[in-house]
Amino acid sequence: MMDKKDIARILERAMGHGADFAELFWEHKVTTGISCEDNRIERINSGIDEGVGIRVIAGDKTSYAYTNDLSLQRLLEVAEVAGKAAQKTKSSFQALNFTTPVSKLEFTVEKLPDTVDIKSKAAKVMEANNAARAVDPRIRQVSVSYGDVIQKVTIANTNDIFVEDTRVRTRLSVNAVAAEGEVIQTGFQSVGGIMGFELLEENDPASLGEKAAQRAVLMLSAQPAPTGKMPVVMAGQAGGTMVHEACGHGLEADLVQKKLSVYAGKKGEQVASPLVTVIDDGTLPKKFGSLRYDDEGHPTEKTVLINKGILEEYMYDYQTAREEGRESTGNGRRESYKDRPIPRMRNTYIASGKEDPEQMIKELKYGLLVTAMGGGQVNTTNGDYVFDVAEGYLVKDGEILHPVRGATLTGNGPETLQLVERVGKDLGFTIGVCGKEGQGAPVSDAQPTMSIKELIIGGTGGPGNGQVKIRRV
Amino acid sequence: MTETKYLSLAQQVLEKSKDKGISLAEVFLVNSEELTIQVARQKVENLKLAQESGLGLRVIVDNRLGYAFTSDLSVEALNKVVEMALHNSRESVSDTNWELPAPPSAYHEMALYDERIFETPVEEKIRFAQEIEQAARAFDPRVKITERTAYQDSRYQICIFNSLGLQAAYRGSYCGGYAVVVGQENDDNQTGFAMEYALRYQELDPIKIGREAGQKAIRMLGAKTIPSARMPVVMDPYIVTNFLGVLQNVFSGEAVLKGKSFLKGKEGQQVANPLVTIIDDGTMPGRLGSSPFDGEGIPTSATPLIEEGKLMGFLHNSYTAKKFGLKSTGNAVRGSYKGTPEVGITNLYLKPGPVSPEDIIKDIQKGLYITDVMGMHTANPISGDFSLGASGLLIENGEMTRPVRGVAMAGNLKDLLLDIDMVGNDLTFYVAKGAPTIRIKSMSISGT
Repeated sequence: MMDKKDIARILERAMGHGADFAELFWEHKVTTGISCEDNRIERINSGIDEGVGIRVIAGDKTSYAYTNDLSLQRLLEVAEVAGKAAQKTKSSFQALNFTTPVSKLEFTVEKLPDTVDIKSKAAKVMEANNAARAVDPRIRQVSVSYGDVIQKVTIANTNDIFVEDTRVRTRLSVNAVAAEGEVIQTGFQSVGGIMGFELLEENDPASLGEKAAQRAVLMLSAQPAPTGKMPVVMAGQAGGTMVHEACGHGLEADLVQKKLSVYAGKKGEQVASPLVTVIDDGTLPKKFGSLRYDDEGHPTEKTVLINKGILEEYMYDYQTAREEGRESTGNGRRESYKDRPIPRMRNTYIASGKEDPEQMIKELKYGLLVTAMGGGQVNTTNGDYVFDVAEGYLVKDGEILHPVRGATLTGNGPETLQLVERVGKDLGFTIGVCGKEGQGAPVSDAQPTMSIKELIIGGTGGPGNGQVKIRRV
Repeated sequence: MTETKYLSLAQQVLEKSKDKGISLAEVFLVNSEELTIQVARQKVENLKLAQESGLGLRVIVDNRLGYAFTSDLSVEALNKVVEMALHNSRESVSDTNWELPAPPSAYHEMALYDERIFETPVEEKIRFAQEIEQAARAFDPRVKITERTAYQDSRYQICIFNSLGLQAAYRGSYCGGYAVVVGQENDDNQTGFAMEYALRYQELDPIKIGREAGQKAIRMLGAKTIPSARMPVVMDPYIVTNFLGVLQNVFSGEAVLKGKSFLKGKEGQQVANPLVTIIDDGTMPGRLGSSPFDGEGIPTSATPLIEEGKLMGFLHNSYTAKKFGLKSTGNAVRGSYKGTPEVGITNLYLKPGPVSPEDIIKDIQKGLYITDVMGMHTANPISGDFSLGASGLLIENGEMTRPVRGVAMAGNLKDLLLDIDMVGNDLTFYVAKGAPTIRIKSMSISGT
């Protein structure tokens, strides 16, 4: 941890050429990574990355400088450089009087990663691997990747904020490859949270491995996805890639203020079906996108973005909030000390409704059931988005038919949200790393089972008619 | 950091490793600086200055691999990094294929550093970013929003020492600019993107970057979806390099060994149309992916991957090469000091053909010219399946007629390689990947 007095000196130096705001972000990150492939622990990597980023805002100009040479002399130089780059006419600088805001999220990490030996971590990795390999002789390869991180941060700024925090994250992912003749298919499953080693005691690595392998094997019998528009039911267990892409990014205040979002200027308007309530919450215990404080030292919160179809709120960081003379929503995040904070999602979800998910599938006349979503992408400017169907089935007259492979669903955010016809009472979270401006941020997202009137499915199979054998899931 | 201080640090870590009884150790050191200037509405919105250094240590103990890294280069931290690497090796599997390269006879001389980038004052670089924006807006009054235009440069020093006496170091630099702008017309907003990166400052042209971004945004205005159909597809060079980004995994010797490449065991076979030649070449003069040596200190080389449709071989680092019974192709790549040298690309490109892009389009009755895709990161390099959101321009009777958005295009990389039936003469590089315009005989396009 850095000395408070030194931090105050550095911030003062950063303000020396006239500025509205200066901030120091110190980070000390210890990571461990273990990977298993070919049935054996191949690589174990650990290390320390420590550095300081200094941000200075003057009017509408921001300068950012970082270094991992942490001598006071060097930090004062960096503060000088950042201050000079942003400079404006001299402004009065008040002496700092640091205070720490209260966090809304309280939790304890039970088993800190640095108290658990490599052997125990490697054993969990092998459990996932062995279970995946035992699923079916057609499993040709299993890759298991384990990672943990202990990130200590100190965030201090000239608005007198001073926050020290330790964030702990652990994740385990399994990627299984199944092959039969010329056909190769893959299955992926992952788990992660703001937890230590207890993550793998609460979530069995073996069942994670099994699920990934079962999906890979299942996909061997999948048929090419149909093409064209069709009704879609997204199952609650499928995760929340759709909400993340179809509206999450478009509700980030930086994109909204630059008019780079289809949701710009629509606060108070009906932007989705009344069945849709979208929430971004940084205070959910254990979830991968949760934080006590965001990366600007602002306590995270539960932010209702769309309430029963009405757009109520965007996601703000300090700079976008300042633009509108308001308070941040605690969405200021950065990948590391090398990056300036920008508005980012935390845990984003569509609130559950009242319907019975099974009934929703039974009443689907013809369409696609999505049971696992992969990655996705959005063009916020026009609202067009895509997401990958990692596991999906054709459904006819309520019967689940064969699995389909190689499908992407594409739609337009605001249009899709208006086409939501039914919302189930379940909710399933998945984790991910969200990329924006080259920065990755750990997030999670969730949706209840939802019926969407129609989406474009990008397959290779031509218009389908679904006359094939039935598979129950 | 001075070169001397640098070399002595590497030497120290090797000494410390030796003291711990580690006979095979490799130190990777990097020191870099970067500058980014982002402009919108002619104002500097963000200016970023950075300095970073770090050290990675790879050890092989009893044929077991261990890796550790640190950004802290103090004596205590260096002691710790040796401890961690040793500790990590103990839980890894024993494998006789792990080895470190002996010093090579020589490295290529390469001009990778341009002092002029760093002699140029920041004010001029700000003007550069402003000129990109002016050019984008001057292209058409409907270019109304600037997401950002930017200038970037970076310089770095890299040094690799290993306990077999290999000592290699070089410095390099690059610079570039990019633009993301939005065209607006009757409630319709469309994005245009352009970029250019080069080794030399004088090779960059801000006007060209700005105009291209403006043009791309404007030509998409009024885009609509089209009915589902199979049709010929033309891809512009940028989209082809996106596909090369997925294919690079398929060419990796590591993926082949792990049964994760659909090209496994197909050496010598026809895996692509005879018009297709794909090469990875780390020795190309003036290219951003060039370097005298790779992430293990092995000299880079030119590696033909597909020659006139035939699979010639794969990319290797020393480990995968040994398993194949071959020599490394000099393709050990490190993202940073934080990771082990894995198989990757240097400059990967599709060799140009004889046809102009105009002539490629001329023969198409009805097809799609693809200028933008979404979801490329979800394409599956193991199965080869891809399904992407796409936008571009409709081709009717040999002419581009109207913009198209909101369609999906799906297929498999195996078929894509075989179905390329025309290759253009307009080889264009985007950072370290290059391609010309190509035509695909027929693809499944999903719309209404």
